[in-house]
Amino acid sequence: MIKFVVKRLLSMVVILLMLTAIVFLLQKLSHINPAHAYLGANASQAAVNRETHILGYDRPFIAQYFHYVSGLLRGNLEVSLRTRHPVSTDIVAFLPATVELAVSGLFLAMVLGAVFGLISAARFRGAGAFRMLLMSFASAPVFLLSLLGILVLSGNLHWLPGTGDTSYTNAPTGPTGIIVIDGLVHGQFAVAWDGVWHLILPALVVALGPAVSIGRVLRGSLEASMLSDFARTARAKGLKERTVVLHHALRNSVSAALSMTGLQVGLMFAGVVVVETIFAWPGIGLYVDQSIPQADFPAIAGVTLVLGVGYVIINAIVDILQAVVDPRVALV
Amino acid sequence: MDDAPRAAEASAPAARGTERLFDAASPGASKSPLVVVDDLHVSFERGGQQVNALRGVSFELQPGEILGLVGESGSGKSVLALTLLGLLPERPRPVITGSALVSGTDMVTANREQARLVRKQHLGAVFQDPMTSLNPTMRIGKQVIEAAGSTQEAVRLLDAVGLPDPASRLRSYPHELSGGLRQRVMIAMAVADSPALVIADEPTTALDVTVQAQILELLGTLRDELGTSFILVTHDLGVAAQVADRIAVLYGGRLAEVGPSADLFGAPLHPYATGLLRSRLVLRTDRSRPIVTLPGEPPDPRNHPPGCPFSPRCEHHSGECDVALPPLETVTATGEIAPSPAGSAMHQVACVRLGRFSTGHAAAIDERAEPWGPVASASRGRNPAVLVHGVHKRFTIGTGLRKKHLLALRGVDLSLNEGEAIALVGESGCGKSTLLRSIAGLQMVDEGEIEFGKGGRPQMVFQDAGASLTPWLTVGEQIGERLRSEGLRRQPRDARVLEALTLVGLPAEVAKARPAQLSGGQRQRVALARATVVPPEVLLCDEPTSALDVSLAATVLNLIGRLRRELGVAILFVTHDLAAARMVGDRIAVMYLGRIVEIGDADELCSAPIHPYTKALLDTVPEVGRVHVRLKGEPANPIDPPNGCAFHPRCPSAEPTCATSPVSLDPVEGASGRRVACPIALRLRTPITGDLNTAGVMSARDDSGRR
Ligand SMILES: Nc1ncnc2c1ncn2[C@@H]1O[C@H](COP(=O)(O)OP(=O)(O)OP(=O)(O)O)[C@@H](O)[C@H]1O
Ligand code: SF4
Ligand code: SF4
Ligand SMILES: [Mg+2]
Repeated sequence: MIKFVVKRLLSMVVILLMLTAIVFLLQKLSHINPAHAYLGANASQAAVNRETHILGYDRPFIAQYFHYVSGLLRGNLEVSLRTRHPVSTDIVAFLPATVELAVSGLFLAMVLGAVFGLISAARFRGAGAFRMLLMSFASAPVFLLSLLGILVLSGNLHWLPGTGDTSYTNAPTGPTGIIVIDGLVHGQFAVAWDGVWHLILPALVVALGPAVSIGRVLRGSLEASMLSDFARTARAKGLKERTVVLHHALRNSVSAALSMTGLQVGLMFAGVVVVETIFAWPGIGLYVDQSIPQADFPAIAGVTLVLGVGYVIINAIVDILQAVVDPRVALV
Repeated sequence: MDDAPRAAEASAPAARGTERLFDAASPGASKSPLVVVDDLHVSFERGGQQVNALRGVSFELQPGEILGLVGESGSGKSVLALTLLGLLPERPRPVITGSALVSGTDMVTANREQARLVRKQHLGAVFQDPMTSLNPTMRIGKQVIEAAGSTQEAVRLLDAVGLPDPASRLRSYPHELSGGLRQRVMIAMAVADSPALVIADEPTTALDVTVQAQILELLGTLRDELGTSFILVTHDLGVAAQVADRIAVLYGGRLAEVGPSADLFGAPLHPYATGLLRSRLVLRTDRSRPIVTLPGEPPDPRNHPPGCPFSPRCEHHSGECDVALPPLETVTATGEIAPSPAGSAMHQVACVRLGRFSTGHAAAIDERAEPWGPVASASRGRNPAVLVHGVHKRFTIGTGLRKKHLLALRGVDLSLNEGEAIALVGESGCGKSTLLRSIAGLQMVDEGEIEFGKGGRPQMVFQDAGASLTPWLTVGEQIGERLRSEGLRRQPRDARVLEALTLVGLPAEVAKARPAQLSGGQRQRVALARATVVPPEVLLCDEPTSALDVSLAATVLNLIGRLRRELGVAILFVTHDLAAARMVGDRIAVMYLGRIVEIGDADELCSAPIHPYTKALLDTVPEVGRVHVRLKGEPANPIDPPNGCAFHPRCPSAEPTCATSPVSLDPVEGASGRRVACPIALRLRTPITGDLNTAGVMSARDDSGRR
């Protein structure tokens, strides 16, 4: 277990170093002077030069990188060129909403994937229709799905809200920053419920693509398990087919689906950024979307790092879950 | 058939509660058969072609009877077993005609739910591979409870099948148990709820010989005490003969012969059964000539001949055989074909020419094959080709706190002379394959030396020839590869490839085939051709026959015998089968837990074994109607081998000193070249005359028989 944690931490460090290097490289390649962006389009060349020096953008690339990394070790993510707050403060403000959306999206993806895999492997009635529906939605790009959801479900039918994470202007803001949880903590159940309603549409949009991938893998491994020797043994005992699927085949098939879930996390983060922008969801996706046009590289780098950490954590959880479902898997 | 009374009868013992497992079965409670199979046909569609797996099989099974179902790979044994269980695969959808009544329900016409209820109430099943047949993610307790109903009942069943300390094993996962223990768990589930019939499909094939004997004995005990019928599917006539009352031989999807075990194992009538028995190795088989094998290939299930399925391979065949399918007819004690209806004690044979050729095992046994010629290199003197000295090999398994050392080789000395053949025998985990791989240079040893004579690195042939051949290269390319590195050009290379193929008995066309297009026996020959196209000084064979049917295995053993004599290569042959070891080896080395415990001349070692473990191995050689279980307990675990003599926890002759004082491989007085690592057996042997020694050995064996 200790070895497992150490390994994951090491891999996190490597991933983070690589991500920062990539962001720095992009900055270099883009030929955008962040100082220019910082001062605005009308700033004089002299002012820009001065600011470039103050911000350190005139130093060699490698030196900038090491400066950034050494700051990182002290928890310093530098200052956003756009909001002029420390990037870390901005992230603390925007992250909870993203965690809320990403976690519920991932959860929904796993539930939908499990249903999809199970009913299509066991050929339950209605499996074909469900599969068609899910596949056709999942094949559409995320922005199209978001627009469709906003136009139809919230615009036309008024079933679900289409923007933001709450309709309350005076919603509680602590302790977690996640509206649903904060509402519950403060006993304001209407706020919490309203938060759930706001969550449904964006979470669904984020979840659909990964759900299909997870479901497909689950179906494949379920079908293999159903033909396996141990499933034959279970049938030979005279167990019902449903018992064979749920008690024997399923647990042996979850492992592959979990691996796929881990892989999908990266893709899902990309979806989250798009969805937050379209739904005006106050998360780091929205934050970074506004930072990009302004060449706010510290903000972009900070968000990239946070997503990298999230990726490593979720994949470690996936590994732990795999060891839980399969006693032969050891955590290494 | 009236279903009701039988169902009542099957559930009656269950009502009597927990003592029932070892109640004596009420004999003759019912005279009506438990299973009635009538004209059963099963075919599948595969690649657009019709595969006819069963073509008109009829037989009956009485309550409490054990039927051995014997046949080579592809003969339809498993299809028959799965039909009776109602578990044939749904895709490709099989076409089934005829009927298969189990406890009054026809499993051919029963719907899913009816078939499931029959399995639940009347049937149990044990499958070949205990490694894959248990659910790897479910605790064995839960798996047994699913069949047994309650924890208490599960513990009782596990205890009854001989699982040590069953209550604490309930929480184990299958991968934490050895193969033999897992098979016991399978059997516990199969006999849960007192089924009328248990179908066991090759239940011992994947197990070591000593464990195989334990499992077979267990099946017999369960029958005697529960009155359960068994259908024991196996490819080995000898395994069936040990426990079955009757044996049915399948060939090409039809029954060739059905009769009492003693008749079939002693004096079979059908030419196929005779051939099968003849190519089966026993410790008496004449070593001076090749084993008599069945000519030709097993039948192609897509393309059966119109008449007798055996006719292309039958030495007694004549025109009348090909007119129609020979029916299964009853034979009287005098050898006449009787018109009387089939009964369970009857001997039935499907051969139209029966009576017009002499039958019987003994009549045909030896003199048919030319004796072996001399070994080509015998004149080359007795220099060692391989010298193994004090070799140790340790593997580390697991990580962190669970890290353990597995001692695969714990000091092995062995010298293989030029042109000599040594067979290494021992159960799985004893280190025989590790020794072979070390000699082949496939892995480093931790201690000790391996030296070679003047020849270079040895060549190696593996157990699974299919996996050791490259799938995308043609056979010719793979054999030619080694010639190319010798700098030979295209034409002489092709000629040499052809020569190598001819030597292993394969036609020239095979050179253009890819491995997937060949049968298992053909692939093993290709592997041998590849290993010998540039004749090596030493050929290492790792269980090259264990994945093959009896008759195919015999042809491969003959082939090795021929290669050795014609090319003069020295051979180190690993096997778990003493009879095969004796056929191949001039000397036999018996290994136990990483050490050689006995080595000596093959015939001497088999006729007068000295080490208690060698004796136990010899006792596993089958006899009709009797299972010898000399060794209790599990094969030893190479992690933390016991102190003193590593065999002492299982040794029937162990004395207190055996647990503490180390043993060494000592020479045996009066037997040149013989070495034994057991001071106790050597002490018993040494007094005064040689005759007394053999007497001692004989009486020890008789004792075990009487028990
Ligand atoms: N599901 C299937 N689809 C197509 N063909 C099949 C199927 N099951 C079995 N067969 C074919 O039916 C024939 C009989 O097969 P079966 O498995 O009964 O042989 P077996 O006697 O049990 O052999 P083995 O000793 O190798 O287990 C073979 O030719 C096999 O390829
Ligand atoms: S019927 Fe003919 S071919 Fe078949 S076993 Fe008898 S003699 Fe041989
Ligand atoms: S030394 Fe003792 S335990 Fe070992 S084989 Fe001999 S008698 Fe048995
Ligand atoms: Mg089979």
